[in-house]
Amino acid sequence: MTQSAAAPPPPAVAEQLPAPRTSQRFWPAPTGKPVGAGVADTPRLLNRLQIAGMATVLLFGLLSGLVQFLSYQSDGRAADDTEQLVRIQEIQSNLLELDAIATNLVLIGGEGDHAREAQYDAALTDVLEQIAAAADAQSADEKALAALNVQVNDYATAIAQARANIRQGFPIGKEYVSEASQALRDDSVPILTNLVDANTQRAEDSMAGQHPFYLLLIGIVALTVLVWISMMLARRFRRYLNVGVAVAMAIVALVTLVAAIAAWRGDNQNDDLLNKQLKVAVDQAAARTAGNDAKANESLRLLNRGSGAKYEDPWIAAAKVVTSKAADSILDDWRTYADIHAKIVDNDERDIRQPAIRSATGESTTAFDAFDKAAQKLVDDNGRTTTDELRAGRGIALIGSLLTLVLGFVAAVAIARGIGARRKEYA
Amino acid sequence: MNRRLTAGLAALGTLAALLASCGYDDTPLPKPPEAAPTSPPSKPPCTTTDADYRSYAPSSDVVAGGAVERIQKRGRLIVGVSADTYQMAAENPQNDNRIEGFDIEFAKAIGKAIFGSDFELGKNIQFKVITAGDRIGDLQNRVVDLVIRNFTVTCDRWQQIAFSQIYYEATQKVLVTPSLAEKYEGLQSLAGLRVCAPIGSTSLTNIQTQADKLGVDPSPILSPAVTHTGCLVKFQRGEVDAITGDDTVLAGLAAQDPYAVVPPSCDDPTIAPGTACQTSLEPEPYGIGANGDDIDLVRYVNAVLENMRNGAWQVAYNKYLATYLGSGATQPPPYLPYR
Repeated sequence: MTQSAAAPPPPAVAEQLPAPRTSQRFWPAPTGKPVGAGVADTPRLLNRLQIAGMATVLLFGLLSGLVQFLSYQSDGRAADDTEQLVRIQEIQSNLLELDAIATNLVLIGGEGDHAREAQYDAALTDVLEQIAAAADAQSADEKALAALNVQVNDYATAIAQARANIRQGFPIGKEYVSEASQALRDDSVPILTNLVDANTQRAEDSMAGQHPFYLLLIGIVALTVLVWISMMLARRFRRYLNVGVAVAMAIVALVTLVAAIAAWRGDNQNDDLLNKQLKVAVDQAAARTAGNDAKANESLRLLNRGSGAKYEDPWIAAAKVVTSKAADSILDDWRTYADIHAKIVDNDERDIRQPAIRSATGESTTAFDAFDKAAQKLVDDNGRTTTDELRAGRGIALIGSLLTLVLGFVAAVAIARGIGARRKEYA
Repeated sequence: MNRRLTAGLAALGTLAALLASCGYDDTPLPKPPEAAPTSPPSKPPCTTTDADYRSYAPSSDVVAGGAVERIQKRGRLIVGVSADTYQMAAENPQNDNRIEGFDIEFAKAIGKAIFGSDFELGKNIQFKVITAGDRIGDLQNRVVDLVIRNFTVTCDRWQQIAFSQIYYEATQKVLVTPSLAEKYEGLQSLAGLRVCAPIGSTSLTNIQTQADKLGVDPSPILSPAVTHTGCLVKFQRGEVDAITGDDTVLAGLAAQDPYAVVPPSCDDPTIAPGTACQTSLEPEPYGIGANGDDIDLVRYVNAVLENMRNGAWQVAYNKYLATYLGSGATQPPPYLPYR
């Protein structure tokens, strides 16, 4: 910059009479001295080219680094969002599991079953803790989760009243549990559906946070500007190459190539996770939710003697969800349970009550628990793999974005030195 | 130039910070469901009179080829009952979930009469739990032989099935809290209070009509639930102040809650003078339903009901209902002449 101030003022003629374009050849013979018309304007030109070149590579470093940093952040968000999605799915499954246990407990009636009661209490505690954890993890879900918390508390209160009444042999206990189950489906499940939808959208959006195209575009634009600067210098100084600008071009090209390939690979990996592990986790959670819904309806059917299709139709609908979503590895467990359920229905329809109730609170529950645990394991394993994979590559992306920024500065220095050399030659 | 570069970098930095910190929109809450419109009960096609309470003359004869013979040959009587009307017909969890109650005593008496000394409850009677809406269809389709399930005799039902003579003169009454029961003076006491009855039931319209007739001001606020037990849930939660329905159903509700009381009937001769009481809002006489073609079965059932005047009816009433409805009730006499 100071050199431009020190340079001799150009003759006015040169500014008024620019040389015709035809007199300039594209690749002039190398001489080391500026040639052609406008020679006297060279310092200003050098200043402009230097500023343009440095600004370009700095901007390149900043934008490319920013895109990579956003990808780094996006992967972090994707990990958080998928974790939240799986957490919400688990809340939904556990809430229906809670209902399956509660309805079964009321069906047991009488003195109850202390082991099953402890299971209910533990499941309720789990759900409440998971709701608190989910609200802590995603502030956008706080309002919905607060509303869900109110519903779960109402549900737990109604079940407590149901258990107290059933213990005294009052049929109103069945009404409490039936109403609580219905309210769970009418009021809590829609909130959870919204939460699942919102978190699915967030997870999908954040998993699409790798932008190889943008990185390529930024690099190509930067390279185009540098090529233009190089040509301008070559035209003015009759040198094919300005080392500083060439180094900057090499840095830009290399960074662009590496960053774009890394982003492309990251994008593919995210697509794989979305379509494989995360899909498995989400599908198994949905199967588990539907399975528990079915199991609760089985108990409700027996609780409400003579209710017939009122609870069997929802059982059939839930079973269809299970068979369409559940992994092959857990379908056998489901079929074992479904066969026992068919016998319960047969007994109930013939009003053979005691064997039906014994089965629903005994072998049916055991068979269902096997399915539920297997589904839960698949959800946990695949959910963990998804978040682990998303978090695993993040460090490299952060280093890449910082390195790009630094290399942008290095390229800027290279341009300054390269053009500085020309300035010295001119001086 | 330096200033421009600095400004540009600052703008980019701000953009980066904004992009990095941008949050998500709040997860929307589901819209509250719109309340389903409640339609008033449809107007009956005829007006029920005392003549509709008349049944066929009692007879213990087993007619060849008739319904009673068919039941005897089958070896079991199929009776449509409720399983959740406490004190009338409800599962008893302390007795292997067997269905017990006032209605069930009539089924047992009929079964004993049909099968004689060999009668075994589990073997000779099959209880089929049905809903109120199943009652007429199940009789017409012969899914059940008899329906003993809070079945009010009406003229339009007579057009579809047959009824026994009246076995209990149920009436529409009101269940309230003990504090309200102490000073209960009829529907005036329900002014401005929330009253529950099943959605679409005649009980709801009856109480509104009666309150309007008496000029109750402000009018009781109707707050329906799906079932009477649902009303008791609302009552226990403090969402309603009173429940109205058949006194037999209210007796079952009162039996499950010490803070739910059916003020005694003013017609009950056993109540002390000056005791707060209520008059019945609407008669709801119960009969035992049968297929319209099974007249021999109806006659047979009527003979059993007549035999229950030997004290069996009173024993059943005292066991299940007297505590909650007062001990003054007796078995109603048959409406004469018979059909």
